[in-house]
Amino acid sequence: MTTEVKSKSNRPKPFLLPQYCKGCGRCIVSCPKKCIHFTGEVNPETGCVPVAVDYEACIACGTCFNACPEPYALHPDDIRYFWELPQEEQAQAPREVLPVASPHPDQRLPLPPTQPLMIKGTYASAIGALLAGCRHFFGYPITPSTEGAELMAKILPHIEGVFIQAVSEVAAVNYMYGCGGAGQPCMTFTSSPGFSLMLEGVSYMIGAQVPGVIVNIMRGGPGLGNIAPEQSDIKLVCRGLGHGNTHALALAPADPQEMLDLTMEAFRLAFKYRQPVIILGDGYLGQVTSQVRLPEYMIQPGVPEWAVAGDREHRANLITSIALDDRDLEAFNMQLNATYAQMAEEEQRADLFMTDDCEVLLVAANTPSRMAKGAIRTLRAQGIKAGLFRPITLWPFPIKYFLPLLERNLRRIVVVEASHGQLEDELRLALSHAGVTELPPIGRVQRLGGILPQSQEIVEAVTAMEVQG
Amino acid sequence: MNHVFYETFTRHNHAEGIKAHSTHYCPGCGHGLIHKFLSQSIAELGIQDRSVAISPVGCSVFMYYYMNVGNLQAAHGRAPVVALGQKVARPDSIVVSYQGDGDLASIGLAEIISVAQMGLPITVIFVNNSTYGMTGGQMAPTTLIGQKTATCPDGRTPSMGQPMKVAEIIAGLDGPVYVERVALFDAKNRMRAKKAIKKALEVQMAGLGFTFIEVVSECPVQLKLDPVKASEWVQEKMLPVYPLGVKKDTTAEITEPPVINRPPYEYQSLFREIGTSDHQVPRFAAGFPSHLDSEDVGIKFAGSGGDGAQTAALLLTRAALQEGFDSTHIPSYGPESRGGTSYADVHVAKEVLSPAVPNPHILVAFNAPSLVKFAPSVLPGGIILYDSAVIFEVPPVPEGVKVYGIPFAEIAQNMGKRILKNVVCLGAFCAATRIFPEDTFLESLRHGLKKDPKIQEINRQAFFEGIKAFHAAYPQA
Repeated sequence: MTTEVKSKSNRPKPFLLPQYCKGCGRCIVSCPKKCIHFTGEVNPETGCVPVAVDYEACIACGTCFNACPEPYALHPDDIRYFWELPQEEQAQAPREVLPVASPHPDQRLPLPPTQPLMIKGTYASAIGALLAGCRHFFGYPITPSTEGAELMAKILPHIEGVFIQAVSEVAAVNYMYGCGGAGQPCMTFTSSPGFSLMLEGVSYMIGAQVPGVIVNIMRGGPGLGNIAPEQSDIKLVCRGLGHGNTHALALAPADPQEMLDLTMEAFRLAFKYRQPVIILGDGYLGQVTSQVRLPEYMIQPGVPEWAVAGDREHRANLITSIALDDRDLEAFNMQLNATYAQMAEEEQRADLFMTDDCEVLLVAANTPSRMAKGAIRTLRAQGIKAGLFRPITLWPFPIKYFLPLLERNLRRIVVVEASHGQLEDELRLALSHAGVTELPPIGRVQRLGGILPQSQEIVEAVTAMEVQG
Repeated sequence: MNHVFYETFTRHNHAEGIKAHSTHYCPGCGHGLIHKFLSQSIAELGIQDRSVAISPVGCSVFMYYYMNVGNLQAAHGRAPVVALGQKVARPDSIVVSYQGDGDLASIGLAEIISVAQMGLPITVIFVNNSTYGMTGGQMAPTTLIGQKTATCPDGRTPSMGQPMKVAEIIAGLDGPVYVERVALFDAKNRMRAKKAIKKALEVQMAGLGFTFIEVVSECPVQLKLDPVKASEWVQEKMLPVYPLGVKKDTTAEITEPPVINRPPYEYQSLFREIGTSDHQVPRFAAGFPSHLDSEDVGIKFAGSGGDGAQTAALLLTRAALQEGFDSTHIPSYGPESRGGTSYADVHVAKEVLSPAVPNPHILVAFNAPSLVKFAPSVLPGGIILYDSAVIFEVPPVPEGVKVYGIPFAEIAQNMGKRILKNVVCLGAFCAATRIFPEDTFLESLRHGLKKDPKIQEINRQAFFEGIKAFHAAYPQA
């Protein structure tokens, strides 16, 4: 395969491996002694015509080494890589052992007891992120999510964290790709139009298995829509999370306390599954102020074994979403599907309110679920036994908590939402996958355009359905 | 070893056959040389373990097959922000964003310009070969006028866009500290290219700032020239448009290099910034204000921007939470919020269900339109409190609703600060509704307003003026 060549001086001469030579001829042009030439014979392995060196004429000037674009085609003859040695010698050859990362788990740091805070929903979410160990924020201002970013801009520089206002939402999510790829918990706040822009990046995060938390304070759409609350992106998050075979855990808080708790939880889940997690809020939830209790601990993040952390033990790591070989890509998608299945099995969450004896089951998420609770109080006063099923995970839909309710004496299901059936579709799809064919009638109370269904209109709608039978 | 290429390219088609040790690049492509110079520079500087390479989209998408460093592969055009995201996450890493001309100068323009302007220490290597290589030789932002490509088959004209001189654009920004354009077509220029790449890494190691190396490179296949001719073409055609040399170097002048924070993760500073407190707030109320409702009192504050309706509402919410009840505040957020109006809904409840207050027990109106708008929605037996300094006519109200007018604005004006009218209002609110004792509100004022003792005192006075005014006007109430 190769011939041993001895240098006449102490400088190394070029050593050519013809199977790695593509015959570009850059070395020929660079050689001052014109001692490199094309062999004129096609190499059967490569289909290229490699060069050859006239060692009698070569003065070992070394110019050709840096003319060759290939790492291994033309190298100094005082080097032998292990793979150039005969098979039996390869095992003995000194080889670099690539570092293997050891676990550096998160630390839970206990917090002293404090009085509850009185804060709005977006602030609660930001504080939840800080307590989860997030010290890196990337975002682009968009109403009605901006206050979360503003609080981060105010706090992070004072606790040695990093706040970057990105040039766009597209850039923001890709900052997260880099930061999350380095194994650091990071986040963004955005709202519906901005979330649309981020979806390409979300698909890349899923494909490259990069954790991160995206808080989407949903607003009225389509297009520019308005800045008032709508549940406009349930479909996008559950069924259209960028291109490809994508899903992500989607959490739907209903009050500022949950904004904090679920944001903290989102970071845990993001790193548990090495995937992005979406928090879906609504503009109303972002603005509402109430009491928020802090947890008993905060997180000091560790360094995940897979992270590109810029040190020796993580040097072998790679973050990418490419799998050029179709079998490799199918295998990766099967692995993703297994992750999705595990999420569906382990992460379904729901809140049941007065469902023990309920005959009319309201289904609502986010702020409309609070309006629904208000309606339930009035309906019960009127003698209608109403209850609430509130999905906390929108994906996966918490069907395993819903199915037992069907065994009760349900007269009807009423989906209350600030969108045109996006929540109802998730419910129906989950029921269909669960093989449920017999259902009580499904009624609906929907408002759009930034108007939330109010308790009184829910009461009136349900009462009317009950009268009609 | 004088390079940091992997010994075997296991990611290149699973290292089958000759792909184990050869690149995917076409004969004569410049990428291999640029990889080599980057690889040598990393080895010579002893930074292999700290180095992170960002592979772009384009022919060099598979740079991570070869470079034995930490590797991230970015979406098309986004490599600079991926690089900076990695850098701020791990400030000790040496990050190189490696990009082609479609990636950097077309789809990724916003990213490269904004990241360059931030001036943080990362290195961008920009490969300008005047065409889209990977997708099959289409027009690039760097394609020369007259040059034929698959998407300008008759040659590029100025109206298709003039060749983009990226190194000059980047050098024209304030952020970068070192910008150079180099080439690969002969031994001398290859040495310069290697030197420039190494210097950029050294500048990054010193933390001085953003460095940018443009490499004018060959794409023989898309130029439809043999490799030697392609080198000549670059020299003859590209260099007049893309002159080589250092475009900017302020590295010797840097006195205060940019700083990337390293968070310590301790709760003390976090709590200070969040404003947490372990101060146990005293309670003054005997119980829930059930004379207003047995479990959930709804209050609406309505005025226009500047009336202080939101602040008054938040002070009430704070007061309720201090007393251990559930409470929410929501500013009005809907179509009715246009035109400078400012409405706030507050619940004081054993448990707040819906935070909205479509039918309040108590309405506070700071102006006439607000009173007209919301008076009919007040629950029977409820209370309306309005600013009689600006509202002269009271519309019909539901049966049994008690209506009290107090001149908040006038009282505040007499105190010399019209801005205090919402605190005057809160005093009257306290007296009219008896929702909580005075001390509850005073405690809320202490914690909810600015800590300046002078401001505290004048607010306290305003609160008592409100109470006094209410008792003077409605001694029987």
